[in-house]
Formats: sequence, C-alpha cells, structure tokens
Amino acid sequence: MSFLYLLVMAVPAAFALGWWTSRRAGVRRSGAKVSELSSDYFRGLNYLLNEEQDKAIEVFLKLAEYNRDTVETHLALGNLFRRRGEVDRAIRLHQHLVSRPGLNDAMKTVALLELGEDYMRAGLLDRAEALFRDLVAMDAHAPSALRHLIAIYQHERDWHKAIEHARRLETMTGEDETPMMAQFYCELAERSRQHGARSEARDYLAQAFASQAQCVRAYMLTGRLHSEDGAYDAAVEAYEAAVEADVAFVPDILPPLLDSYERSRQMGRAEHFLRGLLDRYHGVSPVLALTNLYRQRDGDRQAVEFLTAQLRQRPSVRGLMTLIDATMDKIDGEARENFQILRELMRKLLEGQAMYRCSRCGFGAKAHHWQCPSCKNWSTIRPIHGVANE
Amino acid sequence: MRLLVLLLLIAFLAAGVLLGALNADLVGYDLGFARIQLPKGAGLLGSLVIGWLLGGLTAWFGVSTGHRRQQRKANKKPAAGA
Repeated sequence: MSFLYLLVMAVPAAFALGWWTSRRAGVRRSGAKVSELSSDYFRGLNYLLNEEQDKAIEVFLKLAEYNRDTVETHLALGNLFRRRGEVDRAIRLHQHLVSRPGLNDAMKTVALLELGEDYMRAGLLDRAEALFRDLVAMDAHAPSALRHLIAIYQHERDWHKAIEHARRLETMTGEDETPMMAQFYCELAERSRQHGARSEARDYLAQAFASQAQCVRAYMLTGRLHSEDGAYDAAVEAYEAAVEADVAFVPDILPPLLDSYERSRQMGRAEHFLRGLLDRYHGVSPVLALTNLYRQRDGDRQAVEFLTAQLRQRPSVRGLMTLIDATMDKIDGEARENFQILRELMRKLLEGQAMYRCSRCGFGAKAHHWQCPSCKNWSTIRPIHGVANE
Repeated sequence: MRLLVLLLLIAFLAAGVLLGALNADLVGYDLGFARIQLPKGAGLLGSLVIGWLLGGLTAWFGVSTGHRRQQRKANKKPAAGA
C-alpha cells in the first residue's frame, strides 16, 4: 500500500519536473536565437548608418540564411544591392521573393514594386513600365507605381502619357500636381514650336495656363512665340507677366524682354519697368540692364555714376567687371594694365562659378534647366544670389 | 561543473541500480484491460519516466502553439495594413 502511495506521488512530481525542464530549455533556446538575430540586425543597422554597405550586406545575408521566411530582410538586402549598383543581384533577389509560394499578397506587391525599381535602375524601362502598370491595375501601392510611371514617361519624353498619369495621381492622392502638368504642356508646346506648329504650340500653352495660371515658363514661351511672329508689344506683355509670376527668373527673362523693348521702341517703358524691378529684385541683372540703357541714352558718365551708386548697395563681381569695362578707356599706363589683370582675374573667377542651384538637391549648374538633371524635380533650379553670381 | 554533473549522474544511476536490486520483488498492476506484474523498482522508474515525459511534452506543446499563434498574427498584420 505504501509503495502505491509513493507511485501516486512520484508521477505528478516527475510531470512537474519534466514540464519545468522543457519550459526552461525552450526559453533558453529561443532566447539565444532571438538575441543572436537581434544582435546581427543591430550590427547590420550600424554598418548601414556608417555607410559601410559591404559589411551590412554580409550581415543581412547571414540573417536571411538564419530565417528564410524573413521577407523584410530580403527586401532590405535587395534595396542595398540596388543602391550599390549591383542591380542584377537585386533583380534576382526580388524575383525570387515574388516567385516564393505562400508569400502574402501585401509582401508580394512590395517585392514587385522593388523589382520595378530594379528594372528602372537597370534601364529596362519597358519591363518596369509593365510591372508598375500591373500594380496600378491591382490598386497596390498605386501612388508609388504612378510616380515611377510618370518618371519613365518623362525619361521617354512621352508627355501625353505623363500628363494622363499625373492627373490620375492627383485624383488618387489629392496632392497638387498641376505645376508638373504645366511643365509637361510647356514641353509639348516647345516641341511644337520647334516643328513649326505654332497654333498647336499656343493650344498647349493655353492648357499649361489652365493647369497653372502663373506658369513662368508658359509666359516665357508665349513671349518667344510673339517675338518670333514680330508681335513685340505682345511679347513685352508676356515677358513682363513672367517677371510678375516669379521674380526669381529675372536673369533669364531680361535678355529677351530687353530685346522686345528695343524692337518695339519702348525704351521709356523699359526704364520704368527696370526701375520698379530694382526695389523688388536684389540681383545685379536689372542694374546691368539699366546701366546699358543709360550708356546708350545719356552716355558713359551717367551710366558709371548709376552703376557705382548701385554697386555700393549690392556689391557684385559682374557689376564690377562692367564698371572696369566702362572706365577702361579713360585710364592708361600702369593703372590700365592693373585693371586688365583684375578684369582677367574676375573673368576666371566667374568661369568656375555655378550660376544656378537646385533648391531641392543642391545641384549646381551654369545654365538654366527647367527640370533638375539630378533630382528630376521641375522648376527647382534657381539663380544663385551672391557676390560672384546674381 | 561538467564533472560534478557526471558524478551526480553516476551517483543517481548507482542509487537506481541499488534500489532496483533491493526491491526486486514483483508487484501486480491491474490496468483494467490487462494485468501486469513488474519489479517494484522498474514500476517506480517507469512512472517517473512517463511523468517526466508527459510534463515535457505538455510544456513543449504549449510553447510551440503560442509561437504559431503569434506568427499567424504577425503575418496577418501587414495584409490588413495594405
């Protein structure tokens, strides 16, 4: 009897002991795995933050081997490969993810989006386009896919499709895409103008104005069309409207505007406009234009007096060069030679200077671009205001 | 540490053998559908082993079920968010 009691007590005691042992072993095993995984993850993250992408890839590859189900790790790896320029590896990785059975739809569409970006990076635009179109049709990550599609159409200069997709993006996200659409219409207008289809160009410009009422580029193109048609009064109106729309583009607008003033014999209006501009715009372009105007109308002395007074208020290398040019005739001997050296020095200084800078990415350019060659944003390249620039 | 565990293991093994030898007399068990006769020591050891195994299996089953449930929840989250 006493032995049976012992047995009855032994079984629950053994049960409890077995339960406790198994629990402890399980916790230790999973804890070790988790800590190893998380330490690897943070190590990878640390490499990424330190811009050591090679080492980060090594760590993430190890992580992906540990757990073949970790989709996020594979996505991060694919991203890294793409950023390092190893597009073929990124494509293989994302293709593998897409074809993996049992992957949920959300993750599959993310992998498809990434694959599309890989194709874009590799220059396989037709494949990327097909993928992004599918994503838009599936309504999965549609805004991102639409943005990529717009980028592809911009690259292919297919402005009609770009406009169509920009419109869809605007409807979908509610974000204002009209400035970008106005630029696309301007591109179409410019193309028509170059092909001699002037009435078509005017139609596109009307659509550009309908998209963005104060589109500087559309005003400038309108001015150019009028000027080429010999309608200089209308050209002056358009160029002046361009300045009103965005005063930052004065350095680009002034040369054709001054030409139109001259051809339409409206130099009085030019002086009045430039005088008004001096208060609103702090660059050197209107000063130089007025100096030139005074020199032609009143002679060198008045022009130099005006320029000297203005340079005291807004010092500028370009202004100083004009001043040296204007006073060079009046001096001779050693002083003239010194002035010539100074002038040459300033010319070289200006040669290496970027005159325009993108307000988004900081890309510096000597000539104006409506679309930034670096970040591909529209109308973000503006004249630099400084002593050596505008 | 490993040596200590080894010594303990040998001591318990010796104790088990000694207990088995001292309690070699047979005990009858009526399981309802069958009647079996086992030495006392083997009966004790058998019930300890069965109890320990059952406890371990129960804990393992509980932990793995919990993990599976968490995994399923984690997989569902992104799908719901998309």
